Amino acid sequence: MREHFFPDFDWHTVFVQPWAEYGDNSFWIVLMGFLVSGTCGLVGCFVILRRMALVGDAISHSLLPGITIAFLLTNSRDTLPMMLGAIAAGITTVVLIEAIRHSSRIKPDAAIGIVFSSLFAIGIILISVFADKIDLDAECVLYGELGFIPLQDIAMLGGVEIGPEPVIRMAIIAVIAIGLLIAFFKEMLVTSFDPGLAASLGINPTRYQYGLTLFLSVVIVSSFESVGVVLVIAMIIFPGATALLITDRLPKAIWLSILFSLLYAVLGFHLATWLEASIAGGMTVIAGFIFGLVWMAAPKRGLLTKLVKRSFKRETTSP
Amino acid sequence: MHAFIKVQLVFRTSLTLLAGILFATSYAADTIRIAATTTMVADLARSVAGDRAEVSGLMGPGVDPHLYKATAPDINTLQSADVIFYNGLHLEGRLADILVKLGRRNKPVYAVTESIPEEKLLEQAEFEGHYDPHVWFDPRLWAHCIETVVNALAEIDPDHADGYRQRGAATEQAYQNHYQWGIDYLATIPEKQRVLITSHDAYNYFGRAFDFRVIGVQGISTQSEAGLADMVKIIEFIKKNDIKAIFVESSVSPAAIQRISEASDCAIGGELFSDAMGLPGHIETAANGDSFDVGTYEGMVKANISTIADALR
Repeated sequence: MREHFFPDFDWHTVFVQPWAEYGDNSFWIVLMGFLVSGTCGLVGCFVILRRMALVGDAISHSLLPGITIAFLLTNSRDTLPMMLGAIAAGITTVVLIEAIRHSSRIKPDAAIGIVFSSLFAIGIILISVFADKIDLDAECVLYGELGFIPLQDIAMLGGVEIGPEPVIRMAIIAVIAIGLLIAFFKEMLVTSFDPGLAASLGINPTRYQYGLTLFLSVVIVSSFESVGVVLVIAMIIFPGATALLITDRLPKAIWLSILFSLLYAVLGFHLATWLEASIAGGMTVIAGFIFGLVWMAAPKRGLLTKLVKRSFKRETTSP
Repeated sequence: MHAFIKVQLVFRTSLTLLAGILFATSYAADTIRIAATTTMVADLARSVAGDRAEVSGLMGPGVDPHLYKATAPDINTLQSADVIFYNGLHLEGRLADILVKLGRRNKPVYAVTESIPEEKLLEQAEFEGHYDPHVWFDPRLWAHCIETVVNALAEIDPDHADGYRQRGAATEQAYQNHYQWGIDYLATIPEKQRVLITSHDAYNYFGRAFDFRVIGVQGISTQSEAGLADMVKIIEFIKKNDIKAIFVESSVSPAAIQRISEASDCAIGGELFSDAMGLPGHIETAANGDSFDVGTYEGMVKANISTIADALR
């Protein structure tokens, strides 16, 4: 048993040393954390409104048959075939989920449950029949690690080092996400809140639904590959959910979710440095903590605000 | 006023700490910094390097390499290391990719298993080129890995190359002695009881080295579960051959083994170390009076052997 459960908090080692001595590492880790949370959060705002928040968790399970089939076809556990298998499985997952919810009375949460558990089970059976003697699971052949981002290959542009490859890749995905958001903002807004109105305006809600979830599945799988599973599942939900507690307006929620992502990345990194713990874990814990704060104290519907309002009402109505 | 003093205090402590760190690094510059992944690789590096190096292991005692999560200081350990050793043969999963990438950027990175002759590795029957990574369970095989470490250290620190070669030879001798210790200790086990039934398929090299038939209830992958038909087969096998004990592993869930133990009325012989060594400083004693620290490679090997032997004898 350790004598102290937590390491001693020391301002210098927690906040100064990471930047003074390992500035490069810290910068890339925090930037990558921010890019992943920001992008997932951006897409997540819409995903939550469509009751698909658990799709990240679903894909993390349903990609098992994808990587197994990719392995059986190529006899290789290299990242590229695993990644292609995972993307194929991710796309299959969201297409099946959409198909079930659009052609039956089943609600999205149940559709997600049906699809990912069946695909995961198929993966388990494939492994125990064909590849029982091989160590083949997403944890060891696909999932990356946020902490190791600075050690990745450095991308070059015209002979100049610009940064670790996964960070650059994530930045490109983030730019695409922002571009799509600007181009289709009105359509996304209407189809998220009122599919009926959208249809009467001549916007096909189904098409946007498929578009959003397909894009999401690519974002999720490529983030799994570079930063691992915890951060991605959490960041699809946390920034959007926290922002939507504060405001009803989607544009404001999107800005807030980006701000929250930045807070998660910076504070989470320092929390992990202090506790000598997993960095993705640190960022997720901060996200949970901030959600708790907002849930308690949000201006309109926070628990505290409601309590204050109620007691105020009682005081004014009683003689 | 108070605030000013506080700021000053913080500033001063930071300066002192900074100086301390600078001093520590310049002091340590004389020795080599080695980073190693699993506890077994760290122990091997420590034996060869002696007091010439400071070895930091990324994975602690009892950590399953599959479940390893990098912490913030780990990355600095890797970056500031003069040389990095890892197991290889896909034991470290994606971490190995990162290490290979670091190797391409002029950081000396070695998979210790690369000096094991390929024909001595166990290959998966259906899948060419995918080897069983659990080589440390055969001390003679693990001794082959010393060569990689000795050559790497001799190249980085040529002034002390002789020291590394001497300690390498001594380590090799020690590993051969562990093997002999195991052969002697297991000698009294009757032929019929030489069956090792465990949670997952990690002990094939052990079985080959010490003449045991090895049965893993689950496959190698942590994702696969024990099939019902397989369990029934194993239970029948245990009853038919009157096997005295089966074993759980320190880093795998014991559920399947417990069920088999209940169904077949066969005792659980104890817990074996599989993918990591035990806590340093934890001393165990075998039935013949030899005692060893399970936080070392020697202790891990001998603890496993004595657990198996004492339960099956």
